[in-house]
Parts: sequence; structure tokens; C-alpha cells
Amino acid sequence: MASCGPVLVPSLLTERAGWRLNTRYLSTFLGARFLGYLLFAAVAWELGALVSIAPGPRMLVIGVVHVLLGCVLLWYAYSAGHRCAHACSGSELVTVGETKRRGVAGPAALGFLTGLSLCPPFVAAGVRAAELGSVAAALLFFAVFFVGTSIWFVPFVGLGCITRNEAVITVARMAMVLIALYYGYLGLTMLLGRKVYGY
Amino acid sequence: MKLRAKLGYAAAGVTVFVALLVPFVLYGRFTKGFAALGLHVDEVYSGGPMARTVQTGVYSIGIHRPVFPHMLQSETPFVQLDWKPVSALPGHVSDVVDVDGDGQPDLRVSFDVPKDPKAPLRVDVDALNPHYEAMRNVGKEKFSRLIVRVDDAILVRVPLAHP
Amino acid sequence: MATEARILQPQEMAPRTIGRSILLTLPIGLWSVLMFSQFWGPNRSVQIASVMTPVFMIALFFMMMRTRSTYRWRRWFFVALGLLFPVGFIHTVMVMRGTMGIPIEEMIAGRTPFCFLPIPLLILPAAFTKAVVFPGSILPHGGMSGGGMAAMAGVWLAITIVVGKGWCSYACFFGGIEEGMAAVPTRAKLRKIDPRWRYGPWAVLLAMVLLSLALFEPAYCMWLCPFKAVSEYVAARNTVGMVQNGIFVVLFAGLVIALPLLTKKRTQCAFFCPFGAFQSIFNKTSVFDVKIDRTRCSPCVLCKTACPTLSLTDESIAQGETLMSCMKCGACVDACPKQAAVWHIKGTEVAVKPERARLMFLYAAWGVAIMFGGRIIADGLATILHVFI
Repeated sequence: MASCGPVLVPSLLTERAGWRLNTRYLSTFLGARFLGYLLFAAVAWELGALVSIAPGPRMLVIGVVHVLLGCVLLWYAYSAGHRCAHACSGSELVTVGETKRRGVAGPAALGFLTGLSLCPPFVAAGVRAAELGSVAAALLFFAVFFVGTSIWFVPFVGLGCITRNEAVITVARMAMVLIALYYGYLGLTMLLGRKVYGY
Repeated sequence: MKLRAKLGYAAAGVTVFVALLVPFVLYGRFTKGFAALGLHVDEVYSGGPMARTVQTGVYSIGIHRPVFPHMLQSETPFVQLDWKPVSALPGHVSDVVDVDGDGQPDLRVSFDVPKDPKAPLRVDVDALNPHYEAMRNVGKEKFSRLIVRVDDAILVRVPLAHP
Repeated sequence: MATEARILQPQEMAPRTIGRSILLTLPIGLWSVLMFSQFWGPNRSVQIASVMTPVFMIALFFMMMRTRSTYRWRRWFFVALGLLFPVGFIHTVMVMRGTMGIPIEEMIAGRTPFCFLPIPLLILPAAFTKAVVFPGSILPHGGMSGGGMAAMAGVWLAITIVVGKGWCSYACFFGGIEEGMAAVPTRAKLRKIDPRWRYGPWAVLLAMVLLSLALFEPAYCMWLCPFKAVSEYVAARNTVGMVQNGIFVVLFAGLVIALPLLTKKRTQCAFFCPFGAFQSIFNKTSVFDVKIDRTRCSPCVLCKTACPTLSLTDESIAQGETLMSCMKCGACVDACPKQAAVWHIKGTEVAVKPERARLMFLYAAWGVAIMFGGRIIADGLATILHVFI
């Protein structure tokens, strides 16, 4: 919750109010995050590299993911400014990209990248999963881990009760830019070899 | 005068009275209140609670409980060791420390103790237990990896090895 | 709300008589003597400062009573506070540590002084883990730890209960620097400011609260606080530290010096300060506010131009209100040629006896200003006098 908060809270606030829409947003975010988890679990287990991922390559992966996360957040903040705030826009979630057809749904992109960001609880779960006998067991373990951690996201649905107006959306967009800059810095320092998160 | 206005003036009067109370009553009460909340300074800064003290002749080595970072803190898990008093330390310290109290040596910590209290310190740590990281010529790198002098003690923080 | 414009009586617009002004200033005089008797010491410079400061505060209050205006007299106090706090603080830091850079040893020892700015960032981490993510001490711990974090939090809460967001006009020991800068030019060079920049403090607050919880560090203090330039900062041990220190220098130069000079606004407060956004919440609990009497308003929007924090918009003026970000500085009230912008006590009718509301507010606000800011001014003054005496 704390590690996803900087990404999730401002992006939720740029969406239109209403707990239904927020629930849909959260579901998309969590679903994409789940995909990110499973992708990492399957690929890393198959490579036999889950336990022995050295700090160097691990930092490279995290660094690239963080830079991408920063870029998506910036693009998301820009896209939210162009979305029509009136009923004519329907209930579409913010689309990151030029058109709805070619773009990727914002929450999906953010959720997927957050899932790949290899935060410490995730790495610890990965170590545990690697001790299991088969890739199916590892995937199941990650699925259970995901469900257990996703319960912490339920309170975010309450953000749907906050009125959306120019003030809230502008604040959320500005906050997103600041957070994007920080993730960009984190990613760059990891790519330059400086350890972050102690790993 | 309407009731709302009367209440408003009453509240304003109370506020002026409360302003008088700030230095004599409120400041002290609120300070004690915050202190009584049971909060503590984050262990990455404070070094964690003391686990035990080992007496080695004229000085002692304080062994803290390991500190694990919260959330996405950019620090490694570490354990802090305190040598005190500095005045009783020899010119060169080289101690084998059993950190986890299992009777087996875990670390060999070596550092010079300069006479000038402001002189920079450097430490070498040999990890006799693979749970800890070795350190070579480390100064004040980060909160989880350093040697510093604080008052009459020399503190060494040794990172725990990766899981 | 009054349905007819109340006609101002001549005596309400003219300066108050000297006798009456002295009478109204008397309680503040007594309060000042009480507060500064505790500051008295054997040191000659401290003694002079203990006399000069209350005289200064009493004189300003007298002028507020005599002229029936608030802003320009309050501004003298606030600028003095903003200029003299760094004098006293930096002097103490240099005596105790010899450097404005906080060494890691001091942070580990819990001797980092705590200011009010990180308070909103520490709430969530403390709520979840009972850990305060600041390298200070809860209680006094020697050195620069001062009264400890509990004492700063205690004085913040006490003063906030009294003045709400008036903290930003009567207690903040940083805001006076940019208020002084904003007062220097006669005209603003940059007059068109996008009103959406007003949301900046809320965005910084949201981002810093979330990052502080995620990173478990006081993110604003580490990365963005421009006032490290006039107090202290983490001594850079590596490239990241140098980048962090570079950022605060740029922000100070831009938001606290350059932009106030160009815009005549308190730009750091209005567009950036997350603590100010947090304090805005307490404007809802404060019993005092500023209202616009729509029966008397032109609207000439001189109040909107005068407001240093863009807390008045055309919409809010039409509704007879200021925005949540109002710092109760009194600039709009003093600027209004029709006395339509008035001090107000919640629940009472707008513009009915506004001077009574102003007096009650000023007694409360000036009381805490003397207790808190006055002591800081005296300390800074004593530091300067000590050079010569």
C-alpha cells in the first residue's frame, strides 16, 4: 500500500468521482499488477534465476522499470489534462497514448509496471517461491501472495467519494509530475549502479 | 442578537482566553501529550534497541537488535555495535564479536582510535558468519554502513548480507 | 447577512484617538512585560533585546489601533521575524557545531533540531508504525535538539488552535523573508499569474506525504525545503547529497527571493509550501475569518490584487468569501476603499461591528506572536547586539 500509494493515489484522483469507477480503476490496476507478478515469476523461475538474481542485473531491471514508471506517470498527467471533464467523455478511464484504440489504459500500464518494480516484499516472496518444486507451484504461491497484499488496496476505493473538480484534478496532476520526477531519479541512479532499497 | 452570533462571540472570547493559556498551560500539556504517545525515532536513525552488552576489560561493546528498513527505505538491514567509553579504548581495536549470542563468533571488527576526537574513523569488518557483510576501510557511507563517534562511544553499523 | 449596506460612521473611518489607542494597547503591553520578563538575563545584549523587542511589538500594536489598519504593521513584525530567526539560529548552530551542515553523527545522536514544516509528513508513518521518521529526539537531548520534537509539536498545536492558518502570518519564522522581498518593489513586473499555481502547495503536500510514507523519510526536508538555505541542511556525503543541496539553493533563490521581487506575492507560501496547505485545513476550525460585504463591494478587485497569496478570486469575491488559503494577514481589508472586506467572527453578521472582530482576532494573534515570534526576534537581536556590546 505504501509502495504503490505514490502511483495509485494521484492517478485515482484524476479519474472521475464515484466508487464504481474507482473500483473499476483499481481492478484494472491490480489485474495488470498481477500479470506483472506472474510474468516475473514464470520467466525467472524458468530461468532458474529467482533465488540467485544478482544485485547488478536486478538493479538494472528495477532501474528500467522505474524510469518507465516515471515516463508513464508524466504522460498520464498530460493525458488527464486533455480529457474532457464533462459527461460527454463518458466513463472512460484515462487513456495513455494518442487515441483510445492505439493507447494502453493508464491504470493497466501503471499496475503492470508497479508489479514489475520488485519491491522488497515481492523479492522476499520470490525467494520463497523459488524453493517450490515446480513453476505451477511458484505461480500459485505468487497468486496467493498477490491476493493477500491486494486486501490492503481496498481502502483506496474510498477515494471515489472525493469530489472531482478542477482543484482536485490539478493537484493530482501536479503531484503526479513530482512523483514521476522522483521515480525517474530513482531509476537513473539504479541504472548508474547506486543501490536503492538496500539491494 | 441571534443565538449564532452569541455563540460566535463566545467562541471568539474563548479563543482569546486560550491564547493567554498557551505559554502557561497548553504548551506544556500538549508537549507532554505528544511525548506520551509512545512514539520513537525511526531505528534507521537511532540504531535500534540495545540487545545486550559485552564487557571486555575496561570497555564494553553494546550490541543492538538488528534494524530492518521499512517500506522502500534506501537502507540495508544492519546491526549496530557500540564501543564505550572511548577514553578507555586502546589505540587500535580489534575485537571478535558474537552478535547473535549463540556462542559463535560472527564478526571481527578492527579500527584505529585517533586521539583527536574530530579525526575521521575507518573500520574493517571481517564477516565470520555469512549473515553479515564484510567491510573494508569504510567511513560514513550511509546510515546502514558506517563508523562514527557519538559523544563517548564509537558506533559501527554492519549491514546484514542479502537474503 | 445584512440586506442593506451599512453606512460607515465618520468615527469608524478616521484614526482612533491616541488615548483610546493607548487604552486598547494596554493589555498587549502587560502581556509583553509578562512574556519578556522571562527572557531577561545577565548578559547586556540580552537585556537590551528584552526591552527593545516588547517596545517594538507594543508600538506596532499601538499603530494598528491608531490607524485601524493591520497589514503594514503586522508586516514589520513578520519581516523582522523572518530576518532575525536565521541570525539567531545560524549563530547557535555555528557555536555548537561549527557548520550549517548536519553531520550524520548528530542525526544518529538525535540532535537534529525539529521545525514545524515536516509535521504533516510524519503523521502517516507514525500512525502505521509508531516511528517518527526524523533524526531528532522526542524529548530534549542536548545539543541542537532544543526542546525536542514533542515541544515543537506542542507549540504548533497550541498556536494553531488560536489562529488557524494565521500561523502563516503571525508565527512562521520563514515567511517573513519573502514578505520582505515582496515589499521591496513599488510595482510588480510579473502581474499575470495563472491561478492554477495556487494548487501547488496541495500537490506538494500530497506528493510528499505519499513519498514520505513509501520511503520512510521526511521527503520534503530531504529534497525540497528551500529554507535550508537559512537554517541548516544535511551535510553532503555523496553526489545525491550535493544534488539535494543544489535543489534547495535554487528553490530559495527562485521562490523566496526572485519571484516575490517580480510578483510582489509570497510565492513560496502561495505556490509551494506543503505545510501551508496543511494549515489551510485549520481555517475551517478557526472562529475568525475575512468576509466580503457584497452590498458594499464595487467590485474593484483591489483586494484580489493586494492579497499576497492569491486567496481571493472573482468567484470567491462574488460569494463574499476568501479561499481556504487565506492567511488572515489583513492586506485585503486594508486595501478595500469601501470597507467591504472585513474581519469577521463566524456565526455573526458580516460587516456588523467588524472592528470588534478585528480587535478580538488581533488580541489572540498578537498574543501568540509576542510569545513565540517575539522571543525569536529578541534572540536574533541579542545575537547582533552581542557583536557590538
